[in-house]
Amino acid sequence: MAGELLTNVSPHLHKKDETIARAMKDVLIALAPAAIWALVVFGFNVVLILAVSCIAAAIAEVVMRKIMGRKITLKDYSAMVTAVLFAFLLPPTTPLWVVAIGSFIAIAVFKELFGGLGKNVVNPAITARLLLWITPLSVYTTKFVRPFYWKDSGFFTPIATSFSKGVTTFQTLAGNSVDVVAAATPMSLLKSGRWGVDVITGPTPIGATWTNSAGRPTLGSLFLGLKSGCIGEVSVLLLLLGGLYLIWRGTIDWRIPTGIIGSFLLLNLIFWNQPLYNLFAGGLFLGAFFMATDWVTSPVTRRGKWIYAVGIGLTVFLIRLLHYRPEGVAIAIFMWNFGTLLIDRYIAQPKFGEVGVGVFNKLPILPEPAPAPAKKEA
Amino acid sequence: MSGKTGFKTFAGGIHPPYNKELASGKAIRACPIPPEVYIPLSQHIGAPNEALVAAGDRVELGQRIGSSDAFVSAPVHSSVAGTVKEVAEITGFTGAKVKCVVITPDADQPEFAKQQGKDLEAYSDEEIRAIAREAGLVGMGGAAFPTHVKLAPPKDKPVDTVIINACECEPFLTCDHRLMLERPADLVAGLKLLMKAVGARDGIIGIEANKMDAVEEMRKAASGADGIKVEVLDVKYPEGAEKMLIFALTGRKVPPGKLPSEVGCLVQNVGTAVALYEAAAWGKPLYERVVTVTGDGISEPGNLLVRIGTPIQALIDACGGFKGDLAKIVMGGPMTGWAQPDAKAPVVKGTSGVLALTADVVDVAEEHECVRCAKCVDVCPMFLQPNFIVQAVKREEWDKAEMWGALDCFECGCCSFTCPAYIPHVTYVRKAKADIGALKRK
Repeated sequence: MAGELLTNVSPHLHKKDETIARAMKDVLIALAPAAIWALVVFGFNVVLILAVSCIAAAIAEVVMRKIMGRKITLKDYSAMVTAVLFAFLLPPTTPLWVVAIGSFIAIAVFKELFGGLGKNVVNPAITARLLLWITPLSVYTTKFVRPFYWKDSGFFTPIATSFSKGVTTFQTLAGNSVDVVAAATPMSLLKSGRWGVDVITGPTPIGATWTNSAGRPTLGSLFLGLKSGCIGEVSVLLLLLGGLYLIWRGTIDWRIPTGIIGSFLLLNLIFWNQPLYNLFAGGLFLGAFFMATDWVTSPVTRRGKWIYAVGIGLTVFLIRLLHYRPEGVAIAIFMWNFGTLLIDRYIAQPKFGEVGVGVFNKLPILPEPAPAPAKKEA
Repeated sequence: MSGKTGFKTFAGGIHPPYNKELASGKAIRACPIPPEVYIPLSQHIGAPNEALVAAGDRVELGQRIGSSDAFVSAPVHSSVAGTVKEVAEITGFTGAKVKCVVITPDADQPEFAKQQGKDLEAYSDEEIRAIAREAGLVGMGGAAFPTHVKLAPPKDKPVDTVIINACECEPFLTCDHRLMLERPADLVAGLKLLMKAVGARDGIIGIEANKMDAVEEMRKAASGADGIKVEVLDVKYPEGAEKMLIFALTGRKVPPGKLPSEVGCLVQNVGTAVALYEAAAWGKPLYERVVTVTGDGISEPGNLLVRIGTPIQALIDACGGFKGDLAKIVMGGPMTGWAQPDAKAPVVKGTSGVLALTADVVDVAEEHECVRCAKCVDVCPMFLQPNFIVQAVKREEWDKAEMWGALDCFECGCCSFTCPAYIPHVTYVRKAKADIGALKRK
């Protein structure tokens, strides 16, 4: 016998490759097609934004963990997932310094200050994005370019939103202003009620026009990803493929995307609120497959997952019915991240063979204060 | 319910690597008798036994050496003919000290003198229970609950179905598989005795679909028997857990905290049924059992007929010794067995396997904070919430640990198997059980 034998408690087997790092790598793989497509549609900007976001997240993780005296856990890729998802929520022309601030806050505040992976209450990427939205920095994150704008300005000529004297323009990184027309996103079209040809025109590189005769983006172009919008939400098709890959790998639970998309579609069908256009227009697929399924901030029981998912679908529906907001999906998920706390605490899961169990756990309405740390016996 | 393969199964569970092929083709052979046997006086759940022998006494094969008057107990018998060296405290397989009768076997061991001409049909239910008790029978799947107690269900809960647990859902183990291949008729006879003892009409032998050769053998052996059928089950762990097995085969659900008799079922292990047959037909007490010695750290894996009290080193020697970079020795199956600090612990009635695992198979990592992936909740066959049990135990909130199901957990280990954060849930559950039990006794 070589050395000491291990004597830990059973079980003595562990599922092969079932690690946090493996799951996070899976998410990155699943996001890759959408990222590559964003690069094709929006040019080299996308690479810079992703890189800056990842670097800022890594710095935030290392700095915060060092300060708090915790082990550095960059190896588990969770910071990279947050960084990529955060970048996915930004317009392709967001200035890099805004990206860096947002990504740093996502990790430093919304992940590490709460105690790191597993302890965070809200999805860091989404919360950082919403934070940008309510700060003055929001002026940098509301301008969108039309797809393939780079055919005029050049693929490797990154441009960024610039703000001066109440006016936003597009500039190259060197500071020269560029003549790029701002475009409406499908979501802002829905919001304004205008379906005019003037805001979105121009043929795609493959020649096909991406608007129909009435001037609206066709459903096909929305689904495939020939539209303006945030970096990550462009191609519904590629997000769907990535999401299905994650379900197949067992990394995310099929109930959450199914519940969100299903309930949202159903409600839009009932109220006949542009059902398919609404489905493919905004960030619903990105949210349903990659944001709402975040392990840490979604409920653990099957029943809880359905409540959470249908809740998000309903909330997005209400937001879009009352007032189109590009951040609708993010707001809904953020709200239901808190719902997760309640669902996990109060929604009962009957044990095997248990009958006559109510819907709710028998717990005091208010949590009792955390118990004092156990005293060491003298 | 049916699983993906169309065979009967339950909800939840996992698909571990089975590695049964290491030993499933190896016929049962006798393990050589070691220079000393260490027979623990109490090898069952229940009241402890008193020693009936003292140092220097001469004992015969099958002689009773320990017993108790309590109803929930099972006597132990000498597994060899020899001389008692001492009655001493020895470290058992759980790591706790247990009182053992240490016997030096004679150089020449007698064959067991089988009683002849017993009419199995003639036994009454009362007699079968007495035989089970007399022979020291306990559940041989690992739980080691005295069999005669199980055979006496409450009067108001009649048992109509006896189930033979032939799933052997633990990876690596093949001892029940071999018993079915080599002694199918004895198993059927044992099942008949069990059915008679509790007055059951139906007998079901539940076998996982990865042992179709055993299914065939058992169907042949059971073809003429009234009320006995052989059912094929989905290959999934823990198919052989009592409540899961009853549900898969009959659709009945045993409520939390209740026994199978609540839904009219009795579950017995393959080895126990065969041992009951041996006790009833031959008058043979339970002093030996089949143990699978396997794992990628064993040179020649196999299935051994081992005398109770044999130290596991003797089993390993009989299988060609260790090979490779040994990381762990496990007594029992890899999902619920006990890791051993050395190879000295003696085999007991509940020992189904001895595993030697190398560093390639053993996958240990530092425990990470729970990431709430909910995989443990998804696989838990009892529909508990292992992640919250762990959280409650860490905070010493015992009422919550109980609410999330700590006391309903039977420690199958699916949660830890599938946990990306490598949390040892079973460790926390055991702590919860011990502390909640202590609180309740106060």
